[in-house]
Parts: sequence; C-alpha cells; structure tokens
Amino acid sequence: MYRTEDVLATLGMVRQHKLDVRTVTMGIDLQSCAAPDVATLCDRVRHRLLHFAGRLREVCQEVQGRYGIPIVNRRIAVSPIASVAAGHDTEGLVAVARTLDATAAEVGVDLVGGFTAQVQKGWTEAEKRLIEALPVVLSTTRRVCSSVNVGTTAAGINMDAIALLGRVLVDTAERTRASDGFGCAKLVIFGNAPTDNPFMAGAFHGAGEPDCVINIGVSGPGVVKAAVEDLVRNAKVRPTLGEIAEEIKSTAFRVTRVGELIGREVASRLGVAFGIVDLSLAPTPQVGDSVGEILQAMGVERLGAPGSTAALALLNDAVKKGGSFASSSVGGLSGAFVAVSEDAALAQAVACGDLTLAKLEAMTAVCSVGLDMIAVPGDTDPETLAALIADEVAIGVINHKTTAVRIIPVPGKAAGERAVFGGLFGEMDILPIHAAGGSTAFVRHGGRIPAPLSSLRN
Amino acid sequence: MHTYIVTVTAADRVGIIHAVTGAISEQGGTIKELSQTVLRGYFTIILAVEFDGPRDPKGLREAVHTRGERFDLNVAVIPDEGRHVDPVPGGERFILTVLGQDRPGTIHRIAGSLARRGVNIVDLHARTEGPRFSLVMEAYLPPELGPAELRGELEQFGAELGMEVYLQHENIFLATNEPRPVRVGSARNPEGSDVVVPH
Repeated sequence: MYRTEDVLATLGMVRQHKLDVRTVTMGIDLQSCAAPDVATLCDRVRHRLLHFAGRLREVCQEVQGRYGIPIVNRRIAVSPIASVAAGHDTEGLVAVARTLDATAAEVGVDLVGGFTAQVQKGWTEAEKRLIEALPVVLSTTRRVCSSVNVGTTAAGINMDAIALLGRVLVDTAERTRASDGFGCAKLVIFGNAPTDNPFMAGAFHGAGEPDCVINIGVSGPGVVKAAVEDLVRNAKVRPTLGEIAEEIKSTAFRVTRVGELIGREVASRLGVAFGIVDLSLAPTPQVGDSVGEILQAMGVERLGAPGSTAALALLNDAVKKGGSFASSSVGGLSGAFVAVSEDAALAQAVACGDLTLAKLEAMTAVCSVGLDMIAVPGDTDPETLAALIADEVAIGVINHKTTAVRIIPVPGKAAGERAVFGGLFGEMDILPIHAAGGSTAFVRHGGRIPAPLSSLRN
Repeated sequence: MHTYIVTVTAADRVGIIHAVTGAISEQGGTIKELSQTVLRGYFTIILAVEFDGPRDPKGLREAVHTRGERFDLNVAVIPDEGRHVDPVPGGERFILTVLGQDRPGTIHRIAGSLARRGVNIVDLHARTEGPRFSLVMEAYLPPELGPAELRGELEQFGAELGMEVYLQHENIFLATNEPRPVRVGSARNPEGSDVVVPH
C-alpha cells in the first residue's frame, strides 16, 4: 500500500512540473570503423550505427508507454571522429559528418554528437583538420554536433587550438547568418570534458567506454522550483538556506531515480550496457522550466544581483548530493545549466540589464557547465572570442571541474538586438563584451598555458 | 494445517487488536497475514489464521466476539479452502490515480471499465475532501494489455467525467520513494521477468 501523499508527490513531478527524461543518449564506439578509404569508413560507420541504434526509437517508445514518463529526445554520441577518421582530408571528414547526419535521421534521433577532437595538450594533423572543417560541417549538416576539448587540469590549455576556434566561430556564424549564427550552437568548447555526458551539443563517446552504452539525461528545473516554492510558501517560519538545500537534495533524489529506472529499462531491452544518469537542471524556454526561476524561488529576485553566485552554488551542490545518494551511476555533468537563451528567466534578466557577461562568468565557476548559449555581437573579432574561451576554460582547469563555452557571434547584429534560435534553443538579447579587442596580443602568443599546480591549494 | 479468514469491523477504540488477537491465541491459532485500517472512525481488520486442526467457523466467530464484547465487534469467519487462484497470472502492478470533482458513481464506472479489460484491483483508497475527490488504486494489468493503450482509454474516460486519470507503473513509485536499488521488469515477481540490478 502506497501512501496517497507519496503517490501524489511523485505524480505531481510528472503532471505539473514537467519532469521528463530529456535525453536517452546511446554511446557507440566507432574505433573499429577506421579504414583507409572514405567510402569504406562511411559504410562501416553507417552499419555500426544501424546495428546498435536501429531499435532505439522503438524501445524508447515502449518504455515511455510502460512508464508514462516522456522521453523527449533520443540521441547518439560516437567516438571522437578526429581519431576514427585520422588520415583523411577535409573532404573525407565532411563525408563522415554527412554519414552521421543521414544515419541519425534514418534511426530517428535528433542529434548526433562526437564530431570531436581532444587537443588539450597538442593536436594531431587529423584533429587540426577536423577543427578547420567545422564551419562547413556545422553549416551543412543538421544533426551533427561537435565538441573540442582544449584544456584539462592535467595538461593545461592549448591556446593555439583556442585561437583557431575563435576564427572557426566567426566563419561558422557567417555561414549560418540567416539563422543568427545558429551553427555555433552545435559546437561546445570544453575544459575537462566528461566522456559520458549525454547532453548535447557536447556529448561524445570517450575513451574507456564500452562498445555501446545507454546514458540518460534527466532534467527537472520545474520540479526543483516547485519544491523550493512549496517549502517557502508553506513553512510557518522562513526556511533557512540549509533547509532549502535539503529540499533540493530530496527532490534531486527522486528525479535521478526516475532517470535510472528508465535508463536501465531501455538498456536492458536493447541488451546493451547501462552507463550513467546525468541529472542536470537543463532549462527549456518554457515558463516554469527554468534554472533562473529556481534562484528566484530562493529569493534572488533579480538574476545577476549579488547573491546569484552563492544561490547557484547551493543549488548545484544540492543537486549533486541528492543525485549521488540516489544512484551510484551518476555521471556526466550533473548540476545546473545556465544556458542563457534556453532559459526564459535568464534571458529576461539579460534583456533588462541585470545579468551581464562578467556575472555569468562568475556564476559558471560554481555551476556545472559554463558560458552556454550566449549571443554576442557579430562583429566580435576572433581573438576576443578566443580570449573569452580561454577565460572560461581557465576557470575549469584551475578548479578541477568541467567548463564549457557555447557562444554565438550573431552576424550583422549588435549588443541589445535580439538573437532568435528557435525551438528549445530559445532567444535572447545580444550581450555586449566589455573591452572587446583588449587582449589580442595575449591570444596571439599562442602555445600552451601550463597545467596548474596541484599542491599548495589555498 | 487449516486456515480461516477472519474479518472484524467496529467503531474504532483502543484495544480492539489486543482483544481479537487474544481470542485467536486462546483458540490456538497463528496469524499468517493481517491487514488493518481505520476509515472515518471505523476500524476494520482482515486476518488469515492458521490452526493445526479444523475449527468450527461459528465457534471461532463467537470466541472473537465474546473476547471483544465491549467493542461490539462485527465478526465474520470463513474457511480458506485454498481455492483462490491468481486473477491475473503474470500481470504487472500499476498505480491508478484519479483526481477531480466529486460526483456519484465515479468509482463504480472506473472499476467497471477496468473489470472489462481484466484488470484486478488489489488495493484501493479513495476520499473526498470538500468537493475534491482523490483515488489511489493498485491494480494488476494482464500481460496482453499494454499500459499505453489502457492509459489512453482511461484518460479519455477521465476527460468525459471531467477528472484527471493517471496510470503509472509501480516501479516509478518504488524508485522514487524507497532507497533500495532501482529495479526494472516486474518488481514483485522474482520467478518471472524480475531483474534486480545492483548499483
């Protein structure tokens, strides 16, 4: 016999607060597909994707039907293509990207991640070619997502790669001018990239993973916000921040458990390994599905005001604690995303001038991703974009955490104008970059920022 | 061994269980299973009691009644003749929740549509608070009946009644309300398709 209150509490998460499984992401190792000629390589890639993911759509629909929990997206993450397609020229890399794009459509997944290079310490010829191919790939494919890891705490930061990525962003934006530079939204630049992250655009199937694995991205900003709001509204005495953290923890527990249940069921039905649950509070532009609104429920009425960073730190930590208790299979990013254009409350705070790029950068030091889905002026020079990336990656590398950058220079538009990406990618007013152009010489030095000291940590 | 099913109903008072179990003990019985609840001030209990030899149900009823005389117990005793069969073999357990405006006949109509599809209700709790009606039911769905199909039907049925109806697999509630490892498959069917997945 279940207590009616418990049943209604769980039901409320799905019914009222938009709990869903944001993504079932199948990781597929493609190393065995390597071949000296492009046609064979592409053929092997296609067949391997069909072999593992051919039933993904059907099984997700079965599990969604059984449990009544919406599975919003199905995705595929593959081995870093820079390794799989090493030795091929730019045309070969583009052919692989098109194969991924077409096969993803064939098996009914909306995005495929892994057009990836890991260049934190240096780059191979293949990795450099892959980065150079990005403007073409991101502007001529629909489903292919890319990520480049440019720094780790162990290796330092590859500034040559970052400088090239600054130019890649400008070129990609220009090639997708009609959609406000949307091509850049499919490229994530990482420091300390996780190898099992199921969320796009940064998902790839990293080293140490099995042939095929199911990773789950659960979301639930609406559920957490409702829990905090209820606690604040119903308490006779104003709850302390410790009590708010406890509430977030227990909510995160429940959300994570739903994700693990769905993930294990999908993996079991497909006969493949279950990997991890990534409980990340990933916003959507819908009202009520926003990380910003959670901070507001905690009392930070104006997002970007002093206190925003502390509130986000509390939220991020409580989510991780609740998730860790719920499952030993928690991985990926697991925290709060501050994806600005995708989060209606954050986008509103930008529009009214409360939330600035500098404050966002500070907030990313305590949240799980980084400068995510941020539109900047289209005339920003490549060196300034590179410097912005370097700053964000440095925060991750020094603090032993993942940081990522997904910035979109919007061609032909200036600060304060509206950038519209559509659908789940949302829209926002373009943020100005303070003192743009003021660090060109720094970026042009190139080379590598050495790995940080791991002792004397004060 | 001989098993009897004993049910007792009375206005709720302190000491009823003490009296009922005392009578069973005096008669040499062992309680194998018991479920008890209080609803609007009325106590009700159902017990499966085992004896080493046959008992007269009437005598047993009298014994319980006498021992609990000051509570004015309504007692019934029937022999468990082992004829019960699993009404839904291989079925899986789901939780059905109905929320909305209270109106006459709701439970009857929902139970009717479930019975027609071979769904066996094993636990049901419903209450009205002012105009609000809520019902939480545990039920076994036959294996051939897809939950998505039944969910669609019930939602449509709920819409006609002006009520919200939700059908969720038991595993969701086990996962979110209990700290033990997450299970997939049928959580209560260890011989069947049950898969217990350790972390």
